[in-house]
Amino acid sequence: MSSNSPILDPKCPGGDIETRWDRHRFAMKQVNPANKRKFHIIVVGTGLAGGSAAASLAELGYRVTSLCIQDSPRRAHSIAAQGGINAAKNYPNDGDSVFRLFYDTIKGGDYRARESNVYRLAQVSNNIIDQATAQGVPFAREYGGHLANRSFGGAQVSRTFYARGATGQQLLLGAYAAMNRQIQAGRIDMRCRREMLELVVVDGVARGVIVRNLITGAYERYAGDAVLLCTGGYGNAFYLSTNAKNSNVTASWRAYKRGAFFANPCYTQIHPTCIPVSGDHQSKLTLMSESLRNDGRVWVPKAAEDKRPASQIPEEDRDYYLERRYPAFGNLVPRDVASRAAKERCDAGFGVGSSSMAVYLDFADAIDRDGEDAVRAKYGNLFHMYQKITDENPYESPMRIFPAVHYTMGGLWVDYNLESTIPGLFVLGEANFSDHGANRLGASALMQGLSDGYFVIPYTVCGHLAGRHLQPVTTQHEAFAEAESEARSQTEKLLAVGGSRSVDSFHRELGLTLWDDCGMARSEKGLKHAIGKIAELRAAFWNDVRVLGEEKDLNQSLEKAGRVADFLEFAEVLVKDALNRTESCGGHFRLESQTEEGEAKRDDENFSYAAAWEYQGTGQDAVLHKEPLAFEYVQLAQRSYK
Amino acid sequence: MLRWIYRFLNSSIGRKALMASTGLLLIGFLIAHLAGNLSLYKGEGVFDEYAHFLGGLEILPLAEFLLALLFVAHITMAILTTLENRGARPVKYAVAASHGKKTVSSTTMFISGLVVLIFLGKHLWDFRLHKEAFEKAPAEVVQTALSNPLTAMVYILGAIALGFHLFHAFASAFQTLGVNHPKYTPALTWLGRVLAVILALGFASFPLIFWLSQGGAH
Amino acid sequence: MSAEKTMKLNLKIWRQKNADSNGSIEDFQLDGVSTDMSFLEMLDVLNEQLISAGREPIAFDHDCREGVCGCCGAVVNGQVHGPDEETTLCQLHMRRFHDGDTIQIEPWRSRAFPVIKDLIVDRTAFERIQQAGGFVSVSTGSAPDANTISIPTRDAEKAFDFAECIGCGGCVAACPNGAAMLFTAAKVAQLVTLPQGKLERSSRVLTMVERMDAEGFGDCTNHYECSAACPKGVPIEAIAVMNREYLRATFLSPEGA
Ligand SMILES: Cc1cc2nc3c(=O)[nH]c(=O)nc-3n(C[C@H](O)[C@H](O)[C@H](O)COP(=O)(O)OP(=O)(O)OC[C@H]3O[C@@H](n4cnc5c(N)ncnc54)[C@H](O)[C@@H]3O)c2cc1C
Ligand code: FES
Repeated sequence: MSSNSPILDPKCPGGDIETRWDRHRFAMKQVNPANKRKFHIIVVGTGLAGGSAAASLAELGYRVTSLCIQDSPRRAHSIAAQGGINAAKNYPNDGDSVFRLFYDTIKGGDYRARESNVYRLAQVSNNIIDQATAQGVPFAREYGGHLANRSFGGAQVSRTFYARGATGQQLLLGAYAAMNRQIQAGRIDMRCRREMLELVVVDGVARGVIVRNLITGAYERYAGDAVLLCTGGYGNAFYLSTNAKNSNVTASWRAYKRGAFFANPCYTQIHPTCIPVSGDHQSKLTLMSESLRNDGRVWVPKAAEDKRPASQIPEEDRDYYLERRYPAFGNLVPRDVASRAAKERCDAGFGVGSSSMAVYLDFADAIDRDGEDAVRAKYGNLFHMYQKITDENPYESPMRIFPAVHYTMGGLWVDYNLESTIPGLFVLGEANFSDHGANRLGASALMQGLSDGYFVIPYTVCGHLAGRHLQPVTTQHEAFAEAESEARSQTEKLLAVGGSRSVDSFHRELGLTLWDDCGMARSEKGLKHAIGKIAELRAAFWNDVRVLGEEKDLNQSLEKAGRVADFLEFAEVLVKDALNRTESCGGHFRLESQTEEGEAKRDDENFSYAAAWEYQGTGQDAVLHKEPLAFEYVQLAQRSYK
Repeated sequence: MLRWIYRFLNSSIGRKALMASTGLLLIGFLIAHLAGNLSLYKGEGVFDEYAHFLGGLEILPLAEFLLALLFVAHITMAILTTLENRGARPVKYAVAASHGKKTVSSTTMFISGLVVLIFLGKHLWDFRLHKEAFEKAPAEVVQTALSNPLTAMVYILGAIALGFHLFHAFASAFQTLGVNHPKYTPALTWLGRVLAVILALGFASFPLIFWLSQGGAH
Repeated sequence: MSAEKTMKLNLKIWRQKNADSNGSIEDFQLDGVSTDMSFLEMLDVLNEQLISAGREPIAFDHDCREGVCGCCGAVVNGQVHGPDEETTLCQLHMRRFHDGDTIQIEPWRSRAFPVIKDLIVDRTAFERIQQAGGFVSVSTGSAPDANTISIPTRDAEKAFDFAECIGCGGCVAACPNGAAMLFTAAKVAQLVTLPQGKLERSSRVLTMVERMDAEGFGDCTNHYECSAACPKGVPIEAIAVMNREYLRATFLSPEGA
C-alpha cells in the first residue's frame, strides 16, 4: 500500500532558492525574548546536532534539558569523526560557492534530497566555520595563519576544513564547551547516562520522554514543550560498523511507533576505506578517513589471486582501478562509487590480504613526493591507529582497506523546519533523513549536524512554540504513566525470557544477514530472504535470549538487549524499503538496475521520491508515503565521475 | 581585600607556588652556606673570620628570622600537600607499576625532606643553640662536633637526603612556577641534578673529612 | 605483521556490585584469546563465557573503540591503559601479551572517581571542572569571519596538542597523587594559546582550578606520570602553562583581587 501523501507537507517555501530561507524565517511566528524562558525544550543526544542545539537554544533563553547515554556529553559518537567539515568559504579561491556546494551535494546524493534543505545547508555552512573558530576549535592553518583546506570525495574544489584527523572531536568539544557555559549558567539541565525509551505524545503533540537512568535502572519522566531527537544513525543494525558501540535506533524507533514516519531506511552508506575484519571476535570496524584518498592511491594486483606481498608487485602489475575507471575524479570519487568498485575487484578475485577481501591504499608516492614528515603531519593519528590495530606500518607498506557500514542517510522524516510527522517532535543530525539523499558526501555530516543545531532549529522551533497554543503538561499526565509502563514492560519481558543465547550472538547474526542481503548490492531474491531471516531471528530472540542481572541496577546486557530488540524490528522496515526501491541510487545498488558497464542505474520516473514509512501496529505492514522530489535548480542527470 | 591571599594559599597551585619559591630561595641559601663553609678548607683562621663577620652583621637576626620563615612556609606547604595527596586515593592499586616517569627522588620528597629536617634540628643544636657553640672558636666547634662518628653519620645522611630532595626539587620548582620551555627545561633539569650532587657532596665532605682524619688518627 | 596465535590467560579483575558495596579481585581463566583481538574484545569473549555460565558479565565503559571518546580505561598490571605509549585501553591489542600471562585489571582509583560498578567509575567531577570555565563565551551567531583571526600555524598546532585530551581520566589514575592537573591544564592551555581564549584567561583559570581543588583530587608534585600515561600524549608543558596562568591571574589581573 502506498500513496503520494498529503500528510507529508515539506513546508518548503517556493520561489527564488537563494532567498527561501530568509523569507521562511521572516514569515515564521516568533517567541519574544521574555517569553522564551517559559518554554522548556528536551534535547535527546549531545552529538554535534544535539550539543549545538542545546547550547544555542539555552543562549536564547529557553530552558533546556539535555540527555545522553554516555557519562559525558563530550563522548557522543560525533567525537569519532576524523576527516573534516565542508563549507563554501572559497578561501583557496578555486571557484567554490554556495551554489557549487549545493550542486555537489545534490549530485553526490544521487538526486534524492530536497533542494530547499540542501541549499540552506550550503548557505549556513560558512557560519559554522566562523562559530567553531570563535569557540577555539584549532582548525589546521596555512603558514600565513589563515585556515587550511583539503579535498574530499565528490568535489573538484578544496572546501574541507579540518583539525588533523580529529575534526569531529574538536568540533564536538566546541559545542560541548558552549553547552558547559549554559550548564554553568543554569539554563541547561544536563542528565548523562540516561537512555530514552519512549516518546510521550499528549493530544497529538510531543510533550516529553521516558528515560531509563542507566546507573540506578529507575525510570524518569521529563515533560516539555518540544522534543528534539538528535540521537544519531542506525548503522549498528549491521552489528559491524564504524559507529560507536552505543549507537542505536531505539529513540527513533520508539518515536516511529508513536507516529513519526521513517524515511528512506534503506539508504545506508558503506564507506570504502575501513580496516578489514580480522576474525570472529571483531566487535567494530575502524574507519580510515576519506581524507587519505587525497594522497593515497587505491590499487589491486592486475592478475587475480596474485599473492605476492605488495612490495614485490612491480608498478606494471598493479591496477589503479579508480584512476583507470574514473579519470576525472580518480581516487576522489564519491564513497558509493569507490565502495562498489572495491567490492567488484574483490568479488572478481583480485582482493589482497589473507581474506582476499581488501584492496591497497598506498602512500608510497606521497611519501616520495612530500616526505614522510609531511604525510605524518597530515595523517599521523590515522596511521598510528592503523598500526595499533593491524601491527603493520603504513609508512612502509600500503594499508589494506575494505568497505564497511558507516553512516545512514535514512532517518525520521522531517519537513523544512526539521519537524517530524508528530508536531513538536524535531529531528536533527544523522537521525533525520533530510539532506544527503541516497549518498552522503564526505565531510557533510558534521556540516549538517551543526547546521541543524546552531542555525536551523533555533528559528524553526519558534514556529511550533509560538504557533500552537500549547497547554501546560506535567509528568503527572496519564500519557506519561502509559509510556512509562510500556518501557517498563519491555524491560521486564527481556529479563524474563531466561534463554540460552547472549544478546551479542543475535546481533551478530542480524548484522551478517543485513550485510549479505542488504549491503553494498541488493537483489529481490536476497532481500526476500533477509525478510524471512529477520522474522526468524526476532522470534528466536524473544524465545531464547539470556539477559542476566537486575532491572534496578547498572546493567549493560539489558541496555544492549533493548537496542537489539529494536534493531530486530527496524531491520524489517529497512529491508522492505530496499525491496520497494527497485532502482539503483547512491548507497543503494540494486543488481537488477545497472548499466551495461555495471554502473548504478537510477529510475527517476518511478523513484524520484522520499519513501516515508508509517507504523501500523505490531505484526502489521508499515504503510509507504511518498514525498515527491522536484528539481528546479539542478538538472537530473545520470551521475558521472569519469 | 585579603581574600585573594586566602584563596591563593588555599589553592593547590598557590600552595605549591609558595613551596617552590621558598624552595628555590632555600637552595640559594644552601649555595651561599656551602660557599662559606668551604672556607674551612682554606684554614681555620679564614673560617673563623668568616663566622665572626657573619655574627657581627646587624641584620643577622632579621636574616635568620626570614630564613626560618622560609623553612616554616616550605614545610607547612609540604605537609598540607602531602596530607591532601594521601587522601586522594583511598583505595590503593593491587599492583603498582608506572609508565616510567616518576623517580625515587620524586616519590620520596616528603621523606627526604623529613630527614633533612631532622638533620637541621641536630645541626642547629650543634652550632646555634648548644652552649658550647658560643664559647669555642667556630672552627673548633665544627671539629668537635664532626669528630663524633654518630654526628658525622647524621650529617652525611642529611647531605644525601638533601641531594635526593634537590634532585627532583630544582627543575620541579620551575615547572610549578610556570617555567617550561623546550629550549630551557632540559637544561634546567640537568642543572638541578648537577646542583643536587654538588651540594650533597659539598656538605657531606665536611663530616667525611673530619671523621676520616680524626677517626683515622685515633 | 605477526601471524595470529591464540593463548590462555589468567585474569584478575576487580568486581564491585555498586558504589555502596565493597569490591574484590576475582580470578578468571580465559582460553583461545587471539593475538589479533583488542583488549576490550578479549573482555567481550570473557563476558560471553560468563553469560553462558549464568554469571553477570563484567561492566566496563566503552563506546568508540578507536581511542577518541575517552569512555574506556582500566589499570592493567599497574599501568594506566596498559603498557603501550599513547594508547587507550580499546587500542591495546592482545599481541602485547603472552600465553600463560596473568593480567590484573583494576578501575581508576581516585577519591574523586568513585567506582560505580566493576571497572566503571564516576567521572562527573571532570564535567564540573569544564563547566567552571572551559569555554570561550561566544554565543551562536556572533562570530566574525573565521579568517579575520589569523593564527600562526605554530600556535594552532600547539593548541591542538592540548586540545587532544579525551577526558578519559587516565592522568588522574596514573598520578601517584591522584591529581587532575593535566586534564584541567589541557583546556586552560589550549584556550590561552589561541587569541579567542585570551579575553577570559584570568577568570577561567581561577574558577577551573578552584573547582578542581574542590572535587577532591590530589595536588601535583611533578612526577610527570600523567603525561606519560596519557593516551593522547598531552604534553606536561600544559601544567606549567596553567601554573603560570594561575600566578598571572592572581598577581597581575583584576580578577585576582
Ligand atoms: C568513524 C567516523 C568518522 C566520521 N568522519 C566524518 C567526517 O570526517 N566528516 C563528516 O562530516 N562526518 C563524519 N562522520 C559522520 C558524523 O560523525 C556523524 O554523522 C555525526 O557526527 C552524527 O552526529 P549526531 O549529532 O547526529 O549524532 P551522534 O554524534 O551519533 O550523537 C548521538 C547522541 O545521541 C545520544 N543517544 C542516542 N540514543 C539515545 C537514546 N536512546 N537516549 C538518549 N540518548 C541517546 C547519544 O548518547 C549521543 O549523545 C564520521 C562518522 C564515523 C563513524
Ligand atoms: S572506547 Fe572510546 S576511547 Fe576507548
